[in-house]
Amino acid sequence: MTTPMTAAPSTSQRRPRTLGRRPHVDLLDPAELERTHEATLEVLERTGVSVRSDRVVGLLAQTDAVVDTERRIVRFPRAMVECALAAAPRSYLLAARDRAFDLLLDRSQGYYCIEGGLSHIVDLHTGQVRLPVYKDLVEATRFADSLDEISFLWPCTAISDVPPQDQAVHQTYVQLANASKHVVAMTTYNERDARAVVEMGAVLAGGTAALRDRPVVSSFACSISPLTWDGQPLEAALVFAAAGVPCGIVSMPVSTAGAPTTTAGHVVVANAEILSGITILQTLHPGAPTYYCPFSADMNLLTGNMDAAWGPEPVLFNLAMAQLGRRYGLPMCIGTNGTGAKTQDWQAGAQHMLILMGTLACGDIDLIACTGGIDSSRVFSYEQVLLDCELWDVAARLLEGTPFTAEYLAVEVIDEVGPGKHFLAHKHTRTHMREHWRARFFASDTWQEWEEAGRPDPGDRARQVARELVATHSPDPLPDDVDRELRSIVDHFTSKGATP
Amino acid sequence: MSEELLSRLRQSIIAADPEVATATTRDLLDAGTSPARILDEGLTRAMLELGERWKHGEFFLPEIVASAAVFTDCNDLIEPTLLASAEHRIGARVMVATVKGDLHDLGKNMVVAMLKTAGFDVIDLGTDVSAAEIVDAVRREAPQVVGLSALLTTTLPEQRSVIEALTRAGLRDRVKVMVGGAPVTHEWAEAIGADGYGQHAPDAVRLVSELTGVVAG
Repeated sequence: MTTPMTAAPSTSQRRPRTLGRRPHVDLLDPAELERTHEATLEVLERTGVSVRSDRVVGLLAQTDAVVDTERRIVRFPRAMVECALAAAPRSYLLAARDRAFDLLLDRSQGYYCIEGGLSHIVDLHTGQVRLPVYKDLVEATRFADSLDEISFLWPCTAISDVPPQDQAVHQTYVQLANASKHVVAMTTYNERDARAVVEMGAVLAGGTAALRDRPVVSSFACSISPLTWDGQPLEAALVFAAAGVPCGIVSMPVSTAGAPTTTAGHVVVANAEILSGITILQTLHPGAPTYYCPFSADMNLLTGNMDAAWGPEPVLFNLAMAQLGRRYGLPMCIGTNGTGAKTQDWQAGAQHMLILMGTLACGDIDLIACTGGIDSSRVFSYEQVLLDCELWDVAARLLEGTPFTAEYLAVEVIDEVGPGKHFLAHKHTRTHMREHWRARFFASDTWQEWEEAGRPDPGDRARQVARELVATHSPDPLPDDVDRELRSIVDHFTSKGATP
Repeated sequence: MSEELLSRLRQSIIAADPEVATATTRDLLDAGTSPARILDEGLTRAMLELGERWKHGEFFLPEIVASAAVFTDCNDLIEPTLLASAEHRIGARVMVATVKGDLHDLGKNMVVAMLKTAGFDVIDLGTDVSAAEIVDAVRREAPQVVGLSALLTTTLPEQRSVIEALTRAGLRDRVKVMVGGAPVTHEWAEAIGADGYGQHAPDAVRLVSELTGVVAG
């Protein structure tokens, strides 16, 4: 960086709507948990993983890893995995341009994010599904910035009107320029993308050293199941690790195809992939901030399609993975919300509430991904984001609990009102009634009102609100010189004149 | 002086503070303010303002019920003087009652409170009121609308009995009848010959306006 940095963080009055402390459900008894951990270590030691990068294989050959250079298979002795797990930081910050949205990963809060990289979008005005363009990502990012339930941002949609190889850099710029929350540059697939993201992050943070303290961007690397690391994403992860930019390790095996059909076998493959990634990262860059990130996917047994629609198995998968992550003591990100629904119907609501309740039972997960996807996470829907936020708000309220003190037991009030009267006019009612959770989209209008309004469903109401938010929300603008600097980085790393 | 007192009266009704509201009403009467002015510029204006703020989601129904109770406390103080001075009407006059056999008055109380936010003159006959008592009251008070509340399916038929009694007494064409309560439906209201039906308390405001042609608040 050659120019002076001016994007000093500010602190707004806003507060992210987070999930508080959550009691967890242990799916596995202690013996089962250890058996599953041991099974994972056996896979890493005996079967190993494929690493499709000569450079990374070369680096690992100089460590305790057992490397078959020719086949690029890397096996990890137990001690190496344990050493890597011990080296990974237990707690760190995901910073934001607006300090009110700084996210400390210390298990005390659950943070929600918006969907990332979806290939299609439901047009907010025509209702038709189409390919998203640059402007859609700008609008969706601003929309996500406006919602307190959204604590951090994935790049909501793909961008069809830029060359595919430039997409990650454009997405990161759009996210940084149109929101003041933490940005996850999740589509960085290679070293070059990663360098661009790190440079942009450094401009915002105020230099490369400041970026280590206040990483305003992060990323993650995802394995290919079963047990394979593509070279370029892994090389990108090493760029992030070297820069002190957090980089999660994601595994999303499709059961039956990329992992055994049994939930336990599914868990072992996912766990082995995540631990292999963390071991590579911590062995080459000890202490690099990372997180444990399992996402579930099932295969439709009839068609072979990936089915990110939720039933009981993904909930069981999440519970087991969360238990393993807790055993390792690492920050965690877990996947929620998958529906095969095409609109905001019974299926979307039931599946999203099911998995959200399942996610609560997973305990103190730091990062909870994500809202806004329908059609098995292929299509971005503004309406779905708002309805998911309502469910999230219910969950957050549930976790706050309710007092049972003398004031709340209200014996004096009950006595004052007495039999046969009512509590409507009592001062106690006025003092406490605003503590009740209030719905924005769950309707309780009368049948007549509903008819007169044209029989709206919750999706219709959400669409109105989404249109208003997209039309009116202005994100905190970047200082001009910072914006110029970011744009020059975009120009440097993308095809000339490619910005729409 | 009276402006200041009237403002304090409105604030105390909006805050549902019976002590300040009744004391201020007495102060106004002592200062020679006309009861009609206290009713119009104090009590009614406060309820109208509450109604506006309810529409914007700033106030909830329990707050309106609490303020309506304070309104009644103050109205009781000015009523003797008011009746002595001259006939005074605000908006339409609406009479409400929970029918014979039914002690449930929550819904009816909410209706009373909401009607007051629209500036209607509300007479509340209470609960367990027989058809004969309602007929007498209609003859005496000459309301434009009478509202009949019933919560139980067992007391629901009493709404029909009241309408029949009004017809027998020759009063049916002088008064509109609206019905409400959890088991009441549009079909029931039509079947018994009622003039209107509301599903929740705020509906009553719209309904009375439609039935009387008096625009609410």
